[in-house]
Amino acid sequence: MSYEPRIVGFLCNWCSYTGADLAGTSRIHYPANVRVIRVMCSARVDPTFVLKALRAGADGVLVCGCHPGDCHYTEGNYKAMRRFALLQKALRDFGVEPERVRLEWVSASEGQRFADVVTDMTERLRPLGPSRIKPTLEADAVER
Amino acid sequence: MSKPRIGVYVCQCGTNIAKMVDCEAVAKAAAALPGVVLAKTYKYMCSNPGQEMIVQDIKEHGLERVVVSACSPRMHERTFRAALATAGLNPYFFEMANIREQCSWVHDDPLAATEKATALLRAAVLRVAQHEPLEKMMVDMCPDVLVIGGGIAGLTAALDIATAGGKVTLVERTGALGGNLARIDLTAPYLTSARDLLVERVSRVRSHPRIAVKLDSQVSKLSGFVGNYKAEIVSVPSNGGAPLEIAIGNVVVCTGYQEFDASRITHYGYGKLPNVITSFEFEAMLRAGRIQMADGRLPKNVCLVHCVGSRSPEFHSYCSRVCCMTALKYAHEVHSALPEARVCDLYVDMHAFGKGHEDFYKKTSEVKTLFLMYKKGDRPVIRKAGPDDGVDMLIEVNEQLSGETIEIPADLVILMVGMEARNDSYEVSRLVNISQDKEGWFIESHPKLDPVATTTDGIYIAGTCAAPKDIPDTVAQAHAAAARILAKSARGRIEVDAVFAEIDENKCSGCRMCNELCPYSAIEFDPVKKRSHVISAVCKACGCCVAACPSGAIKGRHFTDAQIIAQIEGVLA
Repeated sequence: MSYEPRIVGFLCNWCSYTGADLAGTSRIHYPANVRVIRVMCSARVDPTFVLKALRAGADGVLVCGCHPGDCHYTEGNYKAMRRFALLQKALRDFGVEPERVRLEWVSASEGQRFADVVTDMTERLRPLGPSRIKPTLEADAVER
Repeated sequence: MSKPRIGVYVCQCGTNIAKMVDCEAVAKAAAALPGVVLAKTYKYMCSNPGQEMIVQDIKEHGLERVVVSACSPRMHERTFRAALATAGLNPYFFEMANIREQCSWVHDDPLAATEKATALLRAAVLRVAQHEPLEKMMVDMCPDVLVIGGGIAGLTAALDIATAGGKVTLVERTGALGGNLARIDLTAPYLTSARDLLVERVSRVRSHPRIAVKLDSQVSKLSGFVGNYKAEIVSVPSNGGAPLEIAIGNVVVCTGYQEFDASRITHYGYGKLPNVITSFEFEAMLRAGRIQMADGRLPKNVCLVHCVGSRSPEFHSYCSRVCCMTALKYAHEVHSALPEARVCDLYVDMHAFGKGHEDFYKKTSEVKTLFLMYKKGDRPVIRKAGPDDGVDMLIEVNEQLSGETIEIPADLVILMVGMEARNDSYEVSRLVNISQDKEGWFIESHPKLDPVATTTDGIYIAGTCAAPKDIPDTVAQAHAAAARILAKSARGRIEVDAVFAEIDENKCSGCRMCNELCPYSAIEFDPVKKRSHVISAVCKACGCCVAACPSGAIKGRHFTDAQIIAQIEGVLA
């Protein structure tokens, strides 16, 4: 079977998760590569969750929150954005391709946008091939 | 600690899930997961027998946790939590896997969809094992309501709520109440005057001591949650003044529709041929009391064209619901004002679905109106007549019933323009955080069972902002939205999730990082203990502080690290 990237998606309850539900009620199709975990706010996404997902074998991690200015909790998405910038820098230093982690804004009315983001991310991940993070860490553990 | 006993239910949702996801295979995979003592499939888990099955199994099999793999938790999490409570189990010992909205409805490969559904269910099973019992919290419910839009829907909702004792702020963007109804002369099918319908409501609203009408105003910001919203209202155009801030418990959105721009169908010549007008322009003539051509002459041939912008793949695929009866009303009004005039009605299908509509159609057909049927996608062509034709315009139509191409004379053509979502509907949807469908209409919580609520608690929709509808349906929705709000307000308090952050003082280092992060100032620092703590009533459970605490001292209830990590492992196992 051909390689299918596995994406873990962290979606905020108020905008992005509702937007993803809207993609469903509107029957907008997108690849089945994303597995969604609901959080109340994108600011709840601890960077260690992203690392944990990569270590557990995710080929990509998608974090979605409300558009700037629209956060249900006023400004959680801004905090997520700042954290994300630092996380991405650290991941780059570790040698992780920047395409593997992505932060996107998806509102409750943007079912199409959610589908587009997932489709685009899946297509960008395919040529990268499977993430080497999990096998590398496992090999390291064996060597020690 | 022994593993909790978990019951798993995979809903087929009729065929909504089962046609794309192999529910039996998903249940079988779940049965092998740690702690799972039973895994069943069922046609409709949300039905009474479905819920009853959960209650029975909890009792018979001593279940301590329940997972339902079905629709979105935004749809039925509450339903199933209530079933757990009925069986005496803490409602938070429940988790849903969303395999409908986020799986079966969005994928077209049954194998991939089944694999994904299995992964989502595995995540839910691993998560639920980490759940902790929580108690619901009661919070005060502000009885005051914000109504956005001063058309017939907004006026109706405002009056109901104010009559029951709540304070209403009615925000209207224009300088007058009445909305689109104020532009109409008579209403079909009983030919009652729109003015009469409105005058009574508007004067009651204006004189009501508990309704504050804000004209030339719009809502610029809405924050908070059901029972405890805060809104900011500014004037349009902005006068630079400080926004008016109000506290409300619920919001009714009644922002209405706009008419289709007829100039988009170029070969109808609207905007170029002076005697091609829209239905709203004709209403203005009727209200002024004189049906006339652009040069002031009385028309001898009046032609009505249906489905302008509606029921067409290039513009709007839906039916606008009111135009057929409105066209019949025009035929009626032309006949009574100009008894000599000939009326020709060019229609696609005559939709006479409402109460009294069929009788009205029959009555109009009996007076001299020529009905010609054209085919959807084969629009009549309107052109300027020549100097010898003795008429202003000629319309060529491929008539369906006779199968012939007919040319008819016209001095006045009335385009029955359909309804469409307002240009600013996207901004409104973002403002109050509700969804829109592909045509821009606001989406209800459930199209049949919950048509005026939305996916955001405390935000209701009524009237034509949700879809085209006639006056009785609009008014009924406005009453319904008001009733939903009043039913909730009656108790004065509402139950909210017992979900908030808490700080383990033994782990807290007193760095105060969380104090600054909290958007609600819900975290206080105790200078004596040199530790921070959360004021749970103020906390809104966003979890921002939880993710930021360098000591891992903050726990986000029901979204703990352990629970989320269990999900991560579950989806990737």
